[in-house]
This record gives sequence, C-alpha cells and structure tokens, in this order.
Amino acid sequence: MIEARNLSRNFNGLPAVADLSFAVPEGKLCAILGPNGAGKTTTIRMLLGLIPMSGGTARVAGIELPAEDRAGAELRSRVGLLTETPGFYDRISGRANLELFGRLYGLEEATIRARSEQWLRRLELWDARDRPFATWSKGMKQRLALIRAVLHEPPVIFLDEPTSGLDPAVARDVRGLIAGFRAEGRTILLCTHNLQEAEQLADLIGVMRRRMLVFGPRTELTAGEPRLTLELGGDGTALAAPLGALPGVRSCVVVQSSRGERSAPAASTTLRLTLEDLDRDTPAVVREAVRLGAALQAVAPERTSLEEIYLRAVGEAEA
Amino acid sequence: MKRDTLLLFLRKELSDLRSNRQVWPAYMLLPLVAILLPLLLLALLPVLLQQGQTGQDAAVTMLMETVARDTSLRGTTLAERLARLLMRDLTMFYLLMPIVLSASAAALALVREKEQRTLEPILATPIRDRDLLLAKLVASVVPAILITWVAFVAGSLMTMAASWWAVDTIILPTSGNLVALLLLAPAMSVVAALLALRVSARFTDVPGAMQFTGLAVVPLSLILVALLGRPAMMWPLAGLGGAVVLGGVAFGLFRMNLRKFAREEILTNWK
Repeated sequence: MIEARNLSRNFNGLPAVADLSFAVPEGKLCAILGPNGAGKTTTIRMLLGLIPMSGGTARVAGIELPAEDRAGAELRSRVGLLTETPGFYDRISGRANLELFGRLYGLEEATIRARSEQWLRRLELWDARDRPFATWSKGMKQRLALIRAVLHEPPVIFLDEPTSGLDPAVARDVRGLIAGFRAEGRTILLCTHNLQEAEQLADLIGVMRRRMLVFGPRTELTAGEPRLTLELGGDGTALAAPLGALPGVRSCVVVQSSRGERSAPAASTTLRLTLEDLDRDTPAVVREAVRLGAALQAVAPERTSLEEIYLRAVGEAEA
Repeated sequence: MKRDTLLLFLRKELSDLRSNRQVWPAYMLLPLVAILLPLLLLALLPVLLQQGQTGQDAAVTMLMETVARDTSLRGTTLAERLARLLMRDLTMFYLLMPIVLSASAAALALVREKEQRTLEPILATPIRDRDLLLAKLVASVVPAILITWVAFVAGSLMTMAASWWAVDTIILPTSGNLVALLLLAPAMSVVAALLALRVSARFTDVPGAMQFTGLAVVPLSLILVALLGRPAMMWPLAGLGGAVVLGGVAFGLFRMNLRKFAREEILTNWK
C-alpha cells in the first residue's frame, strides 16, 4: 500500500533524505522514528506528492510517484494527513472547518454533515461544534485534525507527530483513535519521537536519519537476541549442560549460584539461555528443566527494548 | 475548474470578515469617503468659483480653463459645468477603492494561511494549484468589487441630491463613469490582486507581505488608474479598450502566478 524505493531529497545540495526504501503492506501501521531533522516530515511530503523527490520512486494507495497534476490530486484524495499542528481556521467553528475541508476532498454536503456529526459525537466534540476553533483546547483541536484526516475515508493515513505537545490523558485518547483506524484496516504511516507510542501501536518500525537505519516488524526487532533466564531453587548448575544441548538452544550458562552455609548446597541458581526463537523454544526448555527435576522459581524472557534499538541505530549513524 | 471551490473560499473569506470586527472600519473607510466626497466638493463649489474669478489660485484657474475647453461637459452655467467635471473625475476614487481593497486581501491570502498553518492541510487535499489560486483571487476581488459598487450607488445618490442643492440640477453618472465602474474597476482590481497574490506566495510573514504590497503593488496599480482612468471617464470606448487590455494582462499574470506557484517553496520556505 505504501512503497518507497530509494527515495532521496536534497535541499540546497544537502541531503534531507537519502536512498530511503521501505514498504508498508495494506492494513499495517508503520512507525517511523528518528531525531529532529531526520527527514520524517520530508518523507511524508514526498509520499503525498507535496514536494518533488530528488531521486527514487514510490507507490502510495495505488498511485505511482512522481505523479502528474491529475494523478497527484487523485493520490491526495486517497490519503489522509495529520500535520504536527492542527491547521484550522481560528475564526470559524470546528464544524465549519470540517465542512470546508470535506468539500475540498470532494465530499457532498450531506455526507460531510453525517460523517461530521458521527465523528464529533464519537470524539466528544459535539457540544463545542459551533464554537470558534480558536476557543478550543489543544486536545480538542488535535482530535478535530484526526477527524479531518479520516473524513473522506482514505485507505492510507499519514500521521506526523500526532501526540506531540499533548497532555498524557489526551495523548492516550489520540493513541486509542489511531489504534481504531488501524483496526478498521487502514494503512498508517506514523512519524513520532515517542518510542512507547511506536511500541504500543506499530506492526512495523523504522528508524531513520536521512536514510533508513533499521526497518522490520516490531516483534522481530524487539526480540533481538532471544534470551531466557531460569531461576531455580537449590543447586541447578548440573542442568546447564542438558538444557544447552536441546534443539533451538544456542547456549546455556550459569550466571549466578548462591551458596548458604559453607559446604552446604547452593540455595538458588540462575541459568541464562540464548535461544533461536523465544516463543517457539521456551516451552521445550521449561518442560525439559521440570523433567530433570529443577525447582523452577521464575522463567523470564528477555527482549531488546525499542529504546535500545533506537539509540544504537542513531548512535551508529552519528558516529 | 470547480465552481464549488471558488464559492467555498469566497464564503470562508466572507465569514472570516464577518467575524473579524476589527477590520470593519478599514473596509468602511473608503466607501464612506466616497459617499461624502461629492457633498464636500459641491459644498466647496462657490469658493472654487470665486477663486477662479479672482485668479488668486493658479490651480483653480487651470481647472476653470479645463472646464471651458472640455466640450463633453454640458451645462447652462459655469457652476454646473464645474460640478459635472468634479463629479465625473470623482469616479477615479472608485477605481482606487477596489485596487486597495483587493490587493490588501490578496496580499494576506496565502501568507496568512502559512502563518495559521492551514496551507499544508489545504495542499494535502485534492485541490489543484489552478483552482486554489483562482479561488483566492475570486475571494479577494469579489468583496472589493461589491463594496465599490455599493459605494458607487450610494455616492451617485448623494451626488444627485447634492447637485440638486448646489447647482439646481441632477447630475447623473455618465456612460464613461459606468464603463469605468463596471469594466475597468474589476479589471484593475484583478491585476492588483494577482500582483499581491504573487507577493503573498513569496513572503513568509504577514507584515512583510503587507508592506511590500503597500509600497510596490498599490502604487504601481495607481499608475494604471492615472493612465486609464481619465480617458475612460471622457471616452467610454477608451475605458472599454483599457479593460480589454487589462484582461489580457490579468490572464498573463495568472499564468505566471500558476507557473511560479511551487508547493515546495511554500511548504519549506516559511518560519
């Protein structure tokens, strides 16, 4: 649904985006992370045909880019955009703003009215509908911007920092809405600084700084090198060898063995296993440990945090 | 071109104008002056005539000579002929009005969208550059023309009443006045608005755009008034010809605006 192939964009000879490639299949939510000036907004603008590319091609919602005037208009009718700032007219009401943008998206007046009412009620903005937009709170404004992004029911949505500057409660509501859009089967490209947001919402994650540094399914990226920690009661050091020999287990080492009184047996043992696939191999390891008589006290899978991935990727790019 | 888009922005601008009471005085000042000016000029008529007879003021003497030479001015008395000249040339003010009003509105048309951050969401809709520019042009020109025409009707009624009081005759608008108002004023207004629209697309701040428009676009447009206004008052056909020429100029300016309207420049070159 969204496919970027070697996208690049220079401003005054300096690369803002270089050789960027990624693909987001239909119905998936892809979060693009990156520091300020990484080229996230430029990427969105290129994919929406708002600014031309210096190189590369793309395909968004079935339209090939670069696109001519008419195809560009067709592309924009199939994509919804949420910009970092809401971008509405202050002096007219929230509903009048929606009507104006609805018309620009080519919707009939009756359709706009029906959809506006449905969304304004759903997002608890109905009572404020006729108040000038300037009098609305920041959270209300952002929710209205989300309504605008989906008013024409686009299959693809671009969200640029949707929760930036919002208080935690409003940010949570906005994230809930985005999750709802994804559940409706829309393809979403979410640019954000918020790692927690990306971890919570995304199917795919990309880390970019001019070029794509890391890209892949969230579950795979955060799995990293799959590790499993077993805490056993008593002396479990003898289990390291048989567990290490199991299929799917790359290594098994004793990382801690606490002793009670001198010459007494160990009070507890901690084993760390490196697995090929955490979800697939954990049950077999636990079964074998129990069969061998281990007094299992805790089983703790260890995943790589998104923060770790992000900082490593950006740090390497900067270096 | 979608007619809906034109009306959409026109309605939005009018609604914006309605809710922004602070700018009302600015929009009412010129029409008010235009309505009161005939009364003032005709009230000064006896003074002008007296000065003309004594020859104290060279400018007034020249005015009298103009009245004497101008064969298109009909009247039984010198006072009536002078009144007709003043009222005919007053129409120049009605040419100035739509230029100032439409250029001011057009100067804000895009730069204000940039400042409000509404331009990117607009450009993200399927609207095409040509439609957006035309919509902004119509939204700048139509209110200016309507205000001018309303002021002209009110001003003409005032002229009729004041001339009846001052020279015992009703002075009606001439065919030159009507051609100037109905054809030349809209054409000049469109040209000024197109120049200001280009300024608005280039600038990144409202004060800068307004300053440039006030110092460059409006004076340039006033030269047009000076060049075409008086001939149009005297010879309606000249007014018609001027309007046609300006129509061509406007078409060329619109094409230039369209060619230079770069979404990238607008999206990436603001504060």
